[in-house]
Amino acid sequence: MRAILESLLALALGVLVGAAVMAAWGRDPWGAYAALFTGALGNVRALASTLSRSLPLVLTGLTFAVGARAGLFNIGAQGQMLLGAVVALSCGLLSLPPGWHLLVALALSALAGALWALPVALLKLTRGVSEVISTIMLNWVAHWLTLYLVVQKLSDRVVGQRTFTVPMGMRFPVLQGELTWSWTVSVGMALFLFWFLWYHRQGYEVRAAGLNPRAARAAGISVSRAMVLALLLGGVSAAWAGAIQVLGRFPYAITSDLANLGNLGFDGIAVALIGRNHPLGILGGAFFFGVLATGAARMGLRGIPLEMIQIVQGVIVVAMAAPEALRLLRRLRARQREVVPA
Amino acid sequence: MAEALLLAQGITKVYPDGTVALTGVDLEVQPGEVHGLLGENGAGKSTLTKIISGLLPPTAGRIFWKGKPVRFSSPREALRAGIGMVHQHFALVGPFTGLENIALGAEGGGLLFPVRAEAIRRRVEELMAASGLQAPLDVPVEELPVGVQQRIEILKMLFRDVDLLILDEPTAVLTPQEVDELFPILRRLAQQGKSVVFITHKLREILAVTDRVTVLRRGRVVAVRKTAETTVEELAQLMVGETMVAQAQRSRRPPGEVVLRVRDLRVLGAEGRPAVDGVSFEVRAGEIFAIAGVQGNGQSELVEALVGLRPWTGEAELSGQSLRGKSPAQLSALGVAHIPEDRHALGLILEFSVAENAVLGRLAPFLNPVGGVRWGRVQRFAQDLLVRFSVQARGVRAPARSLSGGNQQKLLVGRELSKSPKLLIANQPTRGLDVAATRYIRDLLLRLRDEGLAILLVSADLDEIFELADRVAVMYRGTFTGILPAEELDRERIGLLMGGVAAEGARE
Repeated sequence: MRAILESLLALALGVLVGAAVMAAWGRDPWGAYAALFTGALGNVRALASTLSRSLPLVLTGLTFAVGARAGLFNIGAQGQMLLGAVVALSCGLLSLPPGWHLLVALALSALAGALWALPVALLKLTRGVSEVISTIMLNWVAHWLTLYLVVQKLSDRVVGQRTFTVPMGMRFPVLQGELTWSWTVSVGMALFLFWFLWYHRQGYEVRAAGLNPRAARAAGISVSRAMVLALLLGGVSAAWAGAIQVLGRFPYAITSDLANLGNLGFDGIAVALIGRNHPLGILGGAFFFGVLATGAARMGLRGIPLEMIQIVQGVIVVAMAAPEALRLLRRLRARQREVVPA
Repeated sequence: MAEALLLAQGITKVYPDGTVALTGVDLEVQPGEVHGLLGENGAGKSTLTKIISGLLPPTAGRIFWKGKPVRFSSPREALRAGIGMVHQHFALVGPFTGLENIALGAEGGGLLFPVRAEAIRRRVEELMAASGLQAPLDVPVEELPVGVQQRIEILKMLFRDVDLLILDEPTAVLTPQEVDELFPILRRLAQQGKSVVFITHKLREILAVTDRVTVLRRGRVVAVRKTAETTVEELAQLMVGETMVAQAQRSRRPPGEVVLRVRDLRVLGAEGRPAVDGVSFEVRAGEIFAIAGVQGNGQSELVEALVGLRPWTGEAELSGQSLRGKSPAQLSALGVAHIPEDRHALGLILEFSVAENAVLGRLAPFLNPVGGVRWGRVQRFAQDLLVRFSVQARGVRAPARSLSGGNQQKLLVGRELSKSPKLLIANQPTRGLDVAATRYIRDLLLRLRDEGLAILLVSADLDEIFELADRVAVMYRGTFTGILPAEELDRERIGLLMGGVAAEGARE
C-alpha cells in the first residue's frame, strides 16, 4: 500500500518536472501530456500497441527482479535477450512437423538464455567474479555475435535491412492490432515467478539467500544453488523477451541494426525498479513503459521535439525508479559495511 | 583536583533495536592522565567512547569539554575540538605512505600540497622525537606490521594536535613486545600534558599503564579507582560482578549418556590463524556445559565448526555418529539446534515475516509434493510458537524487524527447539536482552536441561555461567585453560583465567 502511494507521488513529481521542462521551452505541457495519454490509451488500437510494447519489458524486468531477490545485480538481460531472439528466429530454418515450430523456438531460446547465464554463475561461484562485470562483458559478446549472425547469416536475400521473416506457422497469432498471443508468455512468466518466489520452497530459499546469506547458510540453505537458480531463471526470461519480440511482433524479423530489439534488456532494469522487483509490480511497470513509448509518437505530432520527449520520459522514469533504486543501494552499502567490521 | 578535561555525565544509550548499552554513565578525565576503561565485552566501553568521539549520539546525558558543554555530531567535529580516537580497525589508506596518511585530511593547502610536504615532514619528525613513536614515513602502510600502523594512527592524531587520545583495545592487535613498547610512549604523552583513555579488558595492562581506572559492567559504572590503590583481584571482581545468585539451580539428576564428544578440535580463524587450537570435551544429556571466556578467544569459531559453518579437524561425534563433513542442514537433521550469538546476522532474516522466520531451516514438513509451501500450516505453526514461547508480536505476518530484541530471541529459540533437538548450542543467548527476556531464556534453558537436553552454552557473562552451568570450561587463546565442575566454581579464579592472568603468569 505504502509502495503504491510512494510510486504515485514519484509519478506526480516526475510529471511536474517534465511539465516544467516543456513550459520552460515554451511548449504547452498539459496538451502534450493529453496527447501522450490519448496516444497510448485513447482507443483499442492504441491500447493494443501499448500492451504489445510492454510485453518483452515484463520479461527482462523479471530477469533483473529475480536476480535482485537473490541478492544479485544481474544486468545480463540485454545479451540474453539478443541471443534468445536470434535463436528463436533461427528455428525458422528447421524443418519440423507443422504446429511444433513455436514450441521448439521457445524451448531452444530458453536454453540459449540459460546457457548465457551459466558462465555468470560459474564465474561468481568458483572465482568470485562479480555478476556486474561478467554480465556486462557477456552482453557485448552477445551483441556482436547477434549482429554477425543477423548481418552475415540470416539476412533476407531481397530486403537487406533485415533478416528473413518468421514463417507464418511460427508466429504468435494476432489478438488485436499489434497485440498477439505472446502476452501469455509474459503474463505466464510473471505469474509463475510470483508463485515460485512466494509459494515454493526454492523461491523461499532464493529470497532468504538474497536478504541474509549468512542466516540462510546457517539454516542449511545453499546460497550458491539459490544464486544459480535465479540466474538461470533470469536467463530464460530474458531470452523469451527476445523471442516474443521476434515471433510476436511486427516486423517478425530482426532489423540489421538490431533496432527492433533495442535496449529491451536495459529498459527491463528500470521496469523492475518501478515494479519494486515484484513480478506483479513489474506487470504494471512494463505497462507504464509501454504507455510512455506509444504515447511519445502522439506527442511528436503536437510539435514537441523528439529530444524533449526523451527528456520528459527520462525524468518520469527516473522519478518512478528512484525509491527502489535507493533501497537497493542502501542494502548494498550496508552489506559492504558488514564485510569491514566496525 | 584540577578542572576535568573531559566530563561526561549521565550518559545513556539505547540503540534503535531497544538494546540498552549504557545507563547513566559518568566519566571524568583529568589533563595529563592515562585513564583506563575496563570492562568485559558488551559492558559498554566502545559505545561510551564512540559517543565521546562524536560517532554516536547519546540518548541522554551531557558532555563537558574543557569546562564547556559540547555536543559533537561527527568525529570530525570532535577531532577539531581536540578529541581523537584510534579504533581497533585502523583508518589508514593502505597504498599511501605513513606521511601521506598522517597528512591526509589535515594538509590544508590543496594544490600547494607538494610545497608543504617538507613542512609536514618536519613537524611529524618533531612529533616522533618528542613522543618516542618511531615509524617509517615513506613506506606504504600496508607493508608495515600492525604495531607500526598503530603508531602511525597515533601520530595522525598527534599531528592534529589532540588533547585527548582514545585508544580502543590498542593491545588486542599487538605482540607482547609491541605492547611493551607502547606503554612507555603512553606515559610520555601523559607527561607532556596529553590525556589518554585506554580501553581494555586485560587487568595487568590497567595496572601497568593507567593512573586511574573506570570499571564498566553491563552499561553502568561500577567503580572508579586510583590505579595505585587497587589490585588485580579487586578489578577482576569489579569487572565480572559480585556473586549474586544462589547456586540452587543445579540439576538434581545425574547427567545421562554422552551426547556430544569432541576430541582435539582445531579450527582456523578468519585470518588463517588457528582460532581453536585443540580442545576436547563432552556434553551429556541433562547437563549444561558452559564455555566461559572473553570474546574473541575462539568461542565463535568453535561454535561455527560444530554447526557446520566452518571447516575443522579432529573428532566430533553426536551420540556416536561422526559429524565430519556434515552440512548445516545435515547437522540440523541429526538433532543439533543452534542459537547463534548474533541473531540478526545468523539467526533471523529481519525482512521476513514471523511466519517465514519460524520455518527457516525447517521448511520440509510444510511442503506439498511439488515443493509448494503450505502457508496456512506455516502460519498456524508460527502462531503456536508465539503462544508457547510468549513472543509479543503484532501477528505472524509482521516482519521480524518489528519485534523487540527479546521477542526476536524467543522466536528464534522457539524455532530451534521445535526441531526436538538432542543438542542445543546456545551462543551468548541473552546478550543485549532486557531483564525479563534474559530471565525467560535462562529459565527455559534450565527446564530443558532438567528434561534431559544436552546444552552447550557459550557466554562471556559470568553471571549467566554461574547461574546455569553444571560444568565450565574457560577458553583463552583457542584452548581450554581448565574445565571445572560447578561445585568448584570460583568467581575470582575464573575472572583471572578470563583476563589471561593465570595463563600469562604460567608463561612468564
